[in-house]
Amino acid sequence: MGPLAINEIISENTNFFLAFIIGIAFGFVLEASGFSSSRKLAGMFYGYDTVVLKVFFTGAITAMLGMLFFSLFDWIDLDLVYVNPTYLTSAITGGVIMGAGFIIGGYCPGTSFCGASIGKIDALIFIVGLFIGVSLFGAGFNWWNGMYMAKFLGSPKISEFFGLTDGVFALILILIALGMFRVAEWAEKKFPREEY
Amino acid sequence: MKPRLWLAAFIVPLGLIIAAVPQNTTHPYKLSAPELLSEVNTRTQFITPETVADMIVKKDPVLQLIDVRSQDEFEKFSLTGAINIPLTDLLSDQNVDLFDQDVKMNVFYANSTLMANEAWMIIRQLGYTNIYVLEGGLNYWFDVILNPKQPSSTSSDEELARYDFRRSVSQALGGGPTLLENNENTASPAPRPAIKSIPKKKKAAGGC
Amino acid sequence: MQESKSAIKKTKYLNPYLGGVLLGLVLLAANFIAGRGLGASGAIKSTVVTIVTAVNSQVAESSGFVSEYLDTHGGSPMKNWLVFEMLGVLVGGFLSGALAGRLKWKVEHYPGITSRKRLFMALSGGILFGFGSQLGRGCTSGSALSGMAVLSLGGFITMMAIFGTAFALAYFFRRNWI
Repeated sequence: MGPLAINEIISENTNFFLAFIIGIAFGFVLEASGFSSSRKLAGMFYGYDTVVLKVFFTGAITAMLGMLFFSLFDWIDLDLVYVNPTYLTSAITGGVIMGAGFIIGGYCPGTSFCGASIGKIDALIFIVGLFIGVSLFGAGFNWWNGMYMAKFLGSPKISEFFGLTDGVFALILILIALGMFRVAEWAEKKFPREEY
Repeated sequence: MKPRLWLAAFIVPLGLIIAAVPQNTTHPYKLSAPELLSEVNTRTQFITPETVADMIVKKDPVLQLIDVRSQDEFEKFSLTGAINIPLTDLLSDQNVDLFDQDVKMNVFYANSTLMANEAWMIIRQLGYTNIYVLEGGLNYWFDVILNPKQPSSTSSDEELARYDFRRSVSQALGGGPTLLENNENTASPAPRPAIKSIPKKKKAAGGC
Repeated sequence: MQESKSAIKKTKYLNPYLGGVLLGLVLLAANFIAGRGLGASGAIKSTVVTIVTAVNSQVAESSGFVSEYLDTHGGSPMKNWLVFEMLGVLVGGFLSGALAGRLKWKVEHYPGITSRKRLFMALSGGILFGFGSQLGRGCTSGSALSGMAVLSLGGFITMMAIFGTAFALAYFFRRNWI
């Protein structure tokens, strides 16, 4: 009955070991899908390469469906799974800053590790930048602590917010995602670029 | 184009199923039947009126009395500091925080032990700890605390001590007019059961 | 050697839908096993905290950032799920790159700008992202992807903010990419 580590079916050390294995799978899939290339990642925002959209949303809905089905079969207790909390102000501000970082740097933390692992120097520099950015945040923590903790709404789910059940929301998201994929493929045909 | 249609063909039906099926909100029973039976047989869930009275008089903050009778009965008479959760509302969501904790001792009571015990069984099976039942309920409480019967002179020392304690406590709790005597024999009742702490569920720190 | 007649050079990547399904399965495994989703920026945070406490414990104590982290996490900050995961990411990425013949030291950039410019942009982007990820309590992996999978409202909002901003600013940085 999942989650295994929280129900103490596996030990903490096993959990960490499995984290390593999961990381290997994560890194492998990301790199194999092309997320180690900053040009592919940035291509999303210029229409010539929509791999980010497809992989991201397919991944999200697969995992979402998987968890809802697991819960249906009583294989996992969804109450014990971590749901990201909502701190409205910092979620938006942080997201905006990250968006800027994404379009300028062409990477996000996870993909930068992938890029670095195959020798991309720009990815390595990005990681250096990450350290600097995190340290800056830590250094000035007392200044933005207020904003960081503002507008805490608990850990609401999107489905709760819209007054839908999890399953119905999942279905709607699936349909939206498929719609976006269709648009993405149209855009790729319109703006072909060399594959990086 | 083709892979997308394959994906759609596979995922959309799954989505339809998951949307149609009612959400699984079962609260699984965490205790097995034999586990519960052994607890019931050893009667560990009972707490004596003397212990509770002692806690009330000492204003022990750990005590949380829960009256499981109807609201009318609660309003007619209730024990000091008790809250009212009628048995029918026991499982409502707003009460989860009351039970899922390891700071206070929840003591169910009703007129007799029957309803309080029923409440205890359900809540205990959901895996919560630190819940007890007031032995004998209010009926016994009235008899023992508010109007303690004087034991005969041939009773054991323990009996006499207990009687003295009850009288002293009864005074504090608004019992029948009895003279409060300063008596060294006033024995404190058995110390209240220790609060069992729940191992903090390692809610995974995720997100970063 | 005959060059392929196709005008569009393609490197061998997985079909994105397949990649997405696999990614979803990895995420599902993470949630099933550890009760949490994937992530990345948290590992950077752990490392920073470790370095700060090792180098200057006084600074560490006075920093709200470090003490808040140490309060909520027992034990060594490096003994953290995300750190192990990111180490795995390095290995996994390397394996995939090796299998596909993509291992090569290089600065990847649009031919229209210099390597130096690209590196400068990468550094700037990294700083912004590092800062933003702490504020947003996660990056695209932790907040957006994993958050979406558990239907977290916060994760969804952060995701919209990230992608929305990137789209909005794309025009201004187009010379770097196209």
